Amino acid sequence: MNQHDADGSVPALRTDRLGRRYGKVWGLRDCTLEVPAGAVAALVGPNGAGKTTLLEMIIGLLEPTEGQVSVFGETSRAGTAETLARVGYVAQDHPLYRDFTVADMFHLGRAMNPRWDQKLAAARVEALGIPLKRKVKGLSGGQQAQVSLTMALAKRAPLLVLDEPVSSLDPVARLEFMRDVMATAADHALTFLISSHVVSELERFCDWLIILSGGHVQLAGPADDLLDAHRLLTVPRATPDADLPGRTIHRTDSDRHSAVLVRAEAGQLAVQGHAGWQADPVSFEQLVMAYLQRTSTAATTGNPAPAAEGPGPNTKAVSR
Amino acid sequence: MIWVSWRQHRSQAIACLALLAALAVYAVLVSTSMRTAFSHDGLPACLARGPATSCETGIQAFDNRFGSEVNVAFWSVLLIFPGLLGVVIGAPLIARELEFGTWRLAWSQTVPRTRWLAVKLGLVTGGVIVLGAAITAVITWYRAPMDRLTGHFINNAYDYEGLVLTAYILCAFGFAVLAGLLIRRSIPAMIAAFVPWLTIRLVVEFVFRSHFLAPLTFVQRCNSPQSCYGGSGLGFIPPVTGHIGDWVLGMGGHGTLGLLGNHPGNTWLYQPASRFWTFQSIEAGIFVALTALALGATIWLLHRRASWTA
Repeated sequence: MNQHDADGSVPALRTDRLGRRYGKVWGLRDCTLEVPAGAVAALVGPNGAGKTTLLEMIIGLLEPTEGQVSVFGETSRAGTAETLARVGYVAQDHPLYRDFTVADMFHLGRAMNPRWDQKLAAARVEALGIPLKRKVKGLSGGQQAQVSLTMALAKRAPLLVLDEPVSSLDPVARLEFMRDVMATAADHALTFLISSHVVSELERFCDWLIILSGGHVQLAGPADDLLDAHRLLTVPRATPDADLPGRTIHRTDSDRHSAVLVRAEAGQLAVQGHAGWQADPVSFEQLVMAYLQRTSTAATTGNPAPAAEGPGPNTKAVSR
Repeated sequence: MIWVSWRQHRSQAIACLALLAALAVYAVLVSTSMRTAFSHDGLPACLARGPATSCETGIQAFDNRFGSEVNVAFWSVLLIFPGLLGVVIGAPLIARELEFGTWRLAWSQTVPRTRWLAVKLGLVTGGVIVLGAAITAVITWYRAPMDRLTGHFINNAYDYEGLVLTAYILCAFGFAVLAGLLIRRSIPAMIAAFVPWLTIRLVVEFVFRSHFLAPLTFVQRCNSPQSCYGGSGLGFIPPVTGHIGDWVLGMGGHGTLGLLGNHPGNTWLYQPASRFWTFQSIEAGIFVALTALALGATIWLLHRRASWTA
């Protein structure tokens, strides 16, 4: 079964009303999203937003309670070899067997993956200066992350899912790792889905953005389009939301002014007519923070977030 | 997958081989002198000549010299050893993956996790069987001269020879694999598996074993109470039935139990030595069935349980 986009291309990843319940609590619900082939997509959200739950369903480790996942048009079935073969995965904290050498890890990769690319794996660690005979426990955190990524790449899967790949790395290693991911994505025409709660790391590298919070998708789409569609308005404090253009996402009131992040069409943002109003483009981080703060406000005041289908009991962290 | 399983259990396998080697060295040291003494005392010739009762002196002398080494309580303490071996091998099999998060690595390769488990269980179970058989062979060889006198029903022989030793290890292994999946941590899983294993092991030995088959009866013939010899249990060598290896359970029948001492016409209940392999098969069958139950539950749970995120 192929599911085509409007423009005829098959998305690398599509989830359709995907949900996962743990006991009575939904870890993720009604999650519909798409990542086009070739994208480097950032999945951001606070801890407990349902990121790991979503990723585990995408790679076929976790069976959805409802809805479905398709990868390059093929519907996934959790725990089957066909589904597992389509997605490369670097789990959080990049787990490896500590008493294995790097060569042993690659041997494992070869033994457990029919399309394993030993040349790619060996060349990659050589370029990174990681000795094949070194035991995993003798590698730095950054090197372990690289070995994990190398294993996911050598699996030769068209979609790669990285769960918090940089959260345990120091800033230099983070930068190097992300640069390396970008170069690889370009070289091998791969699609990446990278989850993180460290927003600033992703800004430079990702061209697709998915914001997940409280078990729901808050915002998803091409990063540039999303940035274009939002403005940070500075308005006099007294200005009510109703007078503002577009939809108010998050508002911070100070003594005399309010900083309001709004989602609006280009035409709605003509603010020249309003004395004392100012409209600025938003940064990746501002955008993400506005959506995340909005959901936490909605959760504490009991107002459902407009994009979500009611917060229900699922705003609590359950997945991790 | 076979390589992966081997690589992950390599150090365990080496440790087991070392253990086996140590046991073999000990067995050779003790058994050699025992074998020499056995033939030197002329016991084989005496036993071949006639009823075991006529070799009493030689038997007592041999038992006095080696019984303390071979039949002592030390071996009774060792009854926990198959259990320890089984849980140490079994508990980390799944628990270690869950403990260190490597399940995410192991189960996201192009091998479904049930297949991953099936291959691992197949290989490690095979290894456990080979190990059990090897230990059994070493101990059987080591005890061989003593077994000519005691038979194989005595605990120190029965529990380490034949089929049951391997079955004990397998059972503890199976319990520990399941406990590792449920508890997700190796050391607590070892304890959680060992306790029920030991309980079942003791209950089977001391409650059920003598009832595996209905005992036979033996009517004692002797001229006077003074010359009537015998008692229940395996400490009497040779047993009252006169046939080495018979397991005398106690007196049965009517009227004689209230009398002091042994009397002609006493009826004894016993399990004949020839039932050794039947008994071994029954007892091993119980433990193998428990193993299959535990491992079956493990596979089913691993297949069914959808979420592994703690």
